[in-house]
Amino acid sequence: MSDTVTINIDGQNYEVAAGANLVDAAKWHAGNDIPVFCYHPKMDPVGMCRMCLVELGTPGRDRATGELLRNDDGSLQIRYFPKLQTACTTTVSDGMHIKTNTQQVIDARNDVLEFLLSSHPLDCPICDKGGECPLQNLTMRHGPQASRMYFEDKQLLEKHYPLGDLIFLDRERCIQCARCVRFQDEVVGDDVLAFHERGRRLQIITHSDPGFDTYFSGNTTDICPVGALTTADFRFGARPWELNEVPSISPWDAAGENISLSMRLDRDFGGKAMIKRVMPRQNEWVNEIWITDKARFGHHFTRAEDRLQQPQMRTGGTLRNSNWEAAIAAMAATLQGADGDVAAIAGSGMSNEDLWALRQLLEGVGAGRLGAWPPTHDAAPHLEQVGVGAGTNLSELGRGDAILVIACDLEEEVPIWRLRLKQAQDRGAYLVVANARDTRLEDFAVQGARNDKVVEGDAIRYAPGEAVSVMRDLQKAHPQIAERLSRAENLVIVAGAEGLSLAGSEALAAAAANFLIESGHTGSANNGLLSPLPGANGLGLHYLGFTPQTTLNIMQEPPRVLIVAQAELLDDDPAAQQWLSQVETIIYAGLFDDGISQRADFILPLQSFAERDGSFVNGERRVQRFYTAQGPMGQALPAWKLFGGISQNAGIANLKPSAAAVMLELSGSVAAFQGASYRALSRTERQFPDVGGRDLYYGGTAYTNHGGIGLQIPTAADRGADVQRRDMADVAELRAGEGELLIMPITRLYNRQRSFRPSLLVEQRILNPYALIHPDDAAAAGTIDGDLIEIVAGESKVRVRASVSSEIAAGGVALPRHLTDAAVPLSASVGTVSRVTDAVAVR
Amino acid sequence: MNVIKGFQTTAKHLMEDAVTIQYPEQVQKFHQRYKGRHHLRRYENGLEKCIGCSLCAAACPADAIWVEAAENTDEERYSPGERFAKTYEINMLRCIFCGYCEDACPTEAIQLGHEHQMSYTDRRDAIYTKDMLIDAPAEGAASTPQQVEPGAYNRSIPDMEDPS
Ligand code: SF4
Ligand code: SF4
Ligand code: SF4
Ligand code: FES
Repeated sequence: MSDTVTINIDGQNYEVAAGANLVDAAKWHAGNDIPVFCYHPKMDPVGMCRMCLVELGTPGRDRATGELLRNDDGSLQIRYFPKLQTACTTTVSDGMHIKTNTQQVIDARNDVLEFLLSSHPLDCPICDKGGECPLQNLTMRHGPQASRMYFEDKQLLEKHYPLGDLIFLDRERCIQCARCVRFQDEVVGDDVLAFHERGRRLQIITHSDPGFDTYFSGNTTDICPVGALTTADFRFGARPWELNEVPSISPWDAAGENISLSMRLDRDFGGKAMIKRVMPRQNEWVNEIWITDKARFGHHFTRAEDRLQQPQMRTGGTLRNSNWEAAIAAMAATLQGADGDVAAIAGSGMSNEDLWALRQLLEGVGAGRLGAWPPTHDAAPHLEQVGVGAGTNLSELGRGDAILVIACDLEEEVPIWRLRLKQAQDRGAYLVVANARDTRLEDFAVQGARNDKVVEGDAIRYAPGEAVSVMRDLQKAHPQIAERLSRAENLVIVAGAEGLSLAGSEALAAAAANFLIESGHTGSANNGLLSPLPGANGLGLHYLGFTPQTTLNIMQEPPRVLIVAQAELLDDDPAAQQWLSQVETIIYAGLFDDGISQRADFILPLQSFAERDGSFVNGERRVQRFYTAQGPMGQALPAWKLFGGISQNAGIANLKPSAAAVMLELSGSVAAFQGASYRALSRTERQFPDVGGRDLYYGGTAYTNHGGIGLQIPTAADRGADVQRRDMADVAELRAGEGELLIMPITRLYNRQRSFRPSLLVEQRILNPYALIHPDDAAAAGTIDGDLIEIVAGESKVRVRASVSSEIAAGGVALPRHLTDAAVPLSASVGTVSRVTDAVAVR
Repeated sequence: MNVIKGFQTTAKHLMEDAVTIQYPEQVQKFHQRYKGRHHLRRYENGLEKCIGCSLCAAACPADAIWVEAAENTDEERYSPGERFAKTYEINMLRCIFCGYCEDACPTEAIQLGHEHQMSYTDRRDAIYTKDMLIDAPAEGAASTPQQVEPGAYNRSIPDMEDPS
């Protein structure tokens, strides 16, 4: 069978991919927008709404001989179905003929719309979908001009039904297309929505507690073809035609979701441009057309009241408001007078341009210690060697391929990867999840049937802290699993750092790299290593020379002058107070004050990702740029301008006029960024499915990518380098002694980090501080479920509720980061758990 | 010849009533459809007709209208339905009094009246806010926000008329 077939649409022949869906093929090849409501190119067709009716014919065959029948003139005889057919449930076949513009089709579309509108409130003026509503658009194009129905005959239902805290349902507007239900079920796998009742009374309900409990709920508002589902965040915020779309990148995690910031001037923000909502922007290699609720609803920190807005300088022992000129001059003097005993710690929210400017400054004053924050993951050197090959697209993984996810909780760390890997498994990939505790992705890693598909997977539960040896000895301990992984056509390994020290995370990545090299899964697309490095630019830090190892070194031997850039040390590290006290001068630049103003000599306000241009490198090594969207807060500066300004003042280098100019210099100086000019980063190409544009009914309200699909940095293996296994005879693993447990900090997506707290809507979803502990360990510590316990590990001492469950293997305690006010250990460490007898309120 | 024609015209008009009036002592009569400054109307019960939909702003060729919407509750209700105008402003210096906003309004909330005597010494004074535009409630009706019976006003758009 050839890869393409010829179909005829309205009298014109088109060569289309074999096996394609007819609606997709007509749109992609012929530009023929067959109207749809229930069909969505990312989901299986269901044929529920009948909007896509077309006349459909196939070449006739002689019943006896099976020969193709021909007309007298030799052309094929086309036999049309007596009735109209739904295009969305049709797969193209050779010689297929369809007609989309006959009277019969026109009438059918008109009738379907009249039927849908027979009980539609048509309160478009107050509907948040109004202006980008598929039902509106299709009615204007194909619908009846006037109504034959009386208003009294319409159903009057609830107009304001909260499906959880984030999404509102208007029951009158729902047209029962089931896109939302199917999205949650098929795409996400969090089956929390359902149809209730039947016929005209059918309604959407949520059956989870809390309601609509998923990290992806916002996407249903994009694909809902009406205003039945709208977000509580944007509610009545603006009309779609008033919004200005600015391409951006989600600042939260390694996925680097492409987003579009919908901007409008606003009174509440002093008449400046303000983010009214965050929408997905299509990038099929990165996030397709989905974004997490954190990316969508977590933008409020950019306008938080407690953001730093004014440069401050310590004079005569007290911190006083200052101005940029004075502060920059003073800092230049301080840095030059430090005899090169200067170091910097940069957070993973800094853009590449910022990091470059910071590095130039440090090199200029003769210092070289560049630390990355948080120092928890050290997989980057291996990602540079054998990371997933250039051109990798997780949506291409499927039958014959395999995925191993070890020592991480992707649902909480990089939700988009978890969503895409789960879908890869739906397409037939073999999914193995290994961890010391239960994670959301592990729920999927089973053999069985799901949504009429056979899925294959395995879960490995290991003792806390043993991830490295499990990875290294996979052949021995789990020969069958190892065999299937090695034999897979394509193999992706995701190696995290849960339950590991910094060195442990490096060792795990090394062991994973060994496995990939041995089985030959390196240097090609859809093969290689991934790691959920924290923050949006974990890999940018690496490529620009900022390493977590150096951070540890800085912590051990604090410098005279320390520059802390967008890193909340005190919030993250329980020992920070202590080692910071040995630093003479602290220069802190950031968005929030985590208490460092007590000690710092300079407090400098930085701009958030929304206020400036910049670029991040995502976990798949894709350099992606974001654009200036929001009006500035106070006197905040972009970090590259601040550090460039100090450099200029100190006579090290001239301040660049723009972020683009910084990037130009950077791309000429650092090999990894070669060719990554802003122009190259903003290159776009046509992507399937063709969402956005005018026909919102096809793909939903995700935006077409006008901001650029980014540029992937090739790995050493991609460039043909001979990547070598590393001998790993002995690895030092963390072992808890008698009466001790391994305290494993874990990441929760919704937490009390300073940058997330201002998003009040989602704040309600943040869990109260807890720790997961095995029943045996709980018994040994004399506690039961719900008890207040105290966990002590190194400098860290926190009080949380015990959540006793065998979801975690004995010997370890999973302690979420950033739920408690006091910091939990930076990475896994040995500690003790005891029951708190004096009753003190938690948090 | 032409000179005579000209004098004839003058003589003819000398006999007629004057068209000009002594403004501002005298005020001209307006046609019903004359378009002067806008009013935001209320229902008889005092609730605002405007639902904050921004359609007037979208229709306005002069970009003179600015609307920001917010959500009604039964405890604090401004207009029927879920949405009301938190901010409603018209910049009278921009307005060309075309009346498109009136046409666009789905609830007949914004209407152009007959008032035309507007002058400002500061251009910022030309921005008429919601307080300045909205009518006083009818005799006996309460102003907004009102506390109302739960569920009594859950529709924004007035009932549709029987098309037959
Ligand atoms: S869903 Fe669409 S058609 Fe229905 S009220 Fe909203 S904008 Fe109008
Ligand atoms: S709520 Fe929207 S997406 Fe869900 S069934 Fe109704 S119309 Fe479809
Ligand atoms: S009358 Fe015309 S110009 Fe004036 S506000 Fe209305 S739409 Fe705008
Ligand atoms: S039936 Fe084909 S799109 Fe709904």
